[in-house]
Amino acid sequence: MLLDEIKSVLTFAAFKPEPDDSSVAWAKRYEGRKSLLINVSRSQTSWRSINKKGRLDESGVMEGEFADIAPQRAEEWRQMAEGGWCSVSVNNRFIISLENNMMRGDNVTDLMRTNPRAVLGPKFDRGKRYAMCHHPDTTASMLLACEESMVKTTEDVLKNIGLRTGRVCCGLFALMEHAVTEIYIKQRATSPGNAALVAACEGSIAVLVQQDGQWKELRCRSGMGPDAVETSLQIITPLVQKLPQGSPVHFISDGQDLKFRSEIMAHLEKIGATDMTQDDLLWRIIGFN
Amino acid sequence: MSDYICHDFKTPRNDTSKRLPDTFKAIPILFFLSLVGSAYFMTMDWMAYKQAQKDKLEAEARKTELDDAAKKLQDEKASLDSETTKAETLAKWMEGARNVQPISVAISRAMPPEVRLSDLTIERSEQVPANLALSLRINGGSASEVGLIETGLSRLQYRSVSPQQSKEGEVIEYRSTLVRQEQ
Repeated sequence: MLLDEIKSVLTFAAFKPEPDDSSVAWAKRYEGRKSLLINVSRSQTSWRSINKKGRLDESGVMEGEFADIAPQRAEEWRQMAEGGWCSVSVNNRFIISLENNMMRGDNVTDLMRTNPRAVLGPKFDRGKRYAMCHHPDTTASMLLACEESMVKTTEDVLKNIGLRTGRVCCGLFALMEHAVTEIYIKQRATSPGNAALVAACEGSIAVLVQQDGQWKELRCRSGMGPDAVETSLQIITPLVQKLPQGSPVHFISDGQDLKFRSEIMAHLEKIGATDMTQDDLLWRIIGFN
Repeated sequence: MSDYICHDFKTPRNDTSKRLPDTFKAIPILFFLSLVGSAYFMTMDWMAYKQAQKDKLEAEARKTELDDAAKKLQDEKASLDSETTKAETLAKWMEGARNVQPISVAISRAMPPEVRLSDLTIERSEQVPANLALSLRINGGSASEVGLIETGLSRLQYRSVSPQQSKEGEVIEYRSTLVRQEQ
């Protein structure tokens, strides 16, 4: 044990972050190493590998339950992940809600994982896993609550096939965090008072509406499937209609399902929506950030 | 891409160790620097040791060479000292024999070329240092040569007192006491 510790200091491994250290960006944790990104939806699973140069490499998609797919792809996935570490994005059985006056601080992210009751108080539900994204200028926050049983099941399935979970996140929420950072933090001075953000990821959709500089409403629906364009529009339309005419609407999606993206954008373009989607955006967010 | 870090709600591990602060990187850096430094100094010391060994062998060879040269010089000096001693002895003898040299020269000049002077002794008398005892042997000569000797000596103001002359075959033996005549 002591010898291992000395070895880790001399090889500088002791100064590198742990593979599952959530306070460090994925790209930094796996610098010079291969890793695997898995996106788990209700009816399909897609994956993408990151090579040693930190670039997106091999990809694949398979229809079916994740628990059935994983054993079939185990060998392939193990070869893609050095040390068996992978980042998992789950896209069903979660809910995103709008909250106010939530605790903020440097240690809240860690506390949210280790003792969410301390952060959420009476809002805490024992069977859920949580994540938060704050509005930079107001007290509003987006709160993600994901079924703990699903997270544990996913982790167990991966463990059984010899893979280790470096991160479990929600793809849709990650896209919304990315969009909030781009719209409300990076362009803080010019961010619009009235705006709508529409995010879609692997058959889940969320719409966030801001009025007079305040996040007013958020609607989210997970596990609808990729063909639910009409259902998605039924969620988006009433919220967008609440905004004054000409308010900017931002659309962001995972960058994989081109059919869904083009169909939904065909409707959103009528109200002047801006498409923030880039190719492989979901993989870039969960594999680099 | 955005500079935010993606959220994570995986089950936390209990066996994680905290990352060491970056300032602690100085420890392995110093370790490797000391390794490199030690290797450098060891190499330099080893090379210096080898050079010293080579220099020592060269110095020993030079010392042997110089010792041989010194010994040669000492032998030469001893030889010269011996020659000097001999020369000094000769010089002393020459100096001591200065007053009898004209007598030797006069006797030598009195001898004709065909006559050989085999033995010549001139001794100062212990009782009367002014008198000299002369003793000589002549091979192949006659009484006339003795006369020539006496004539030569008389020119040097010496007078032969009680001369004795004997002849054995070809050899004439002549003895006398030379007394210096005052002017």
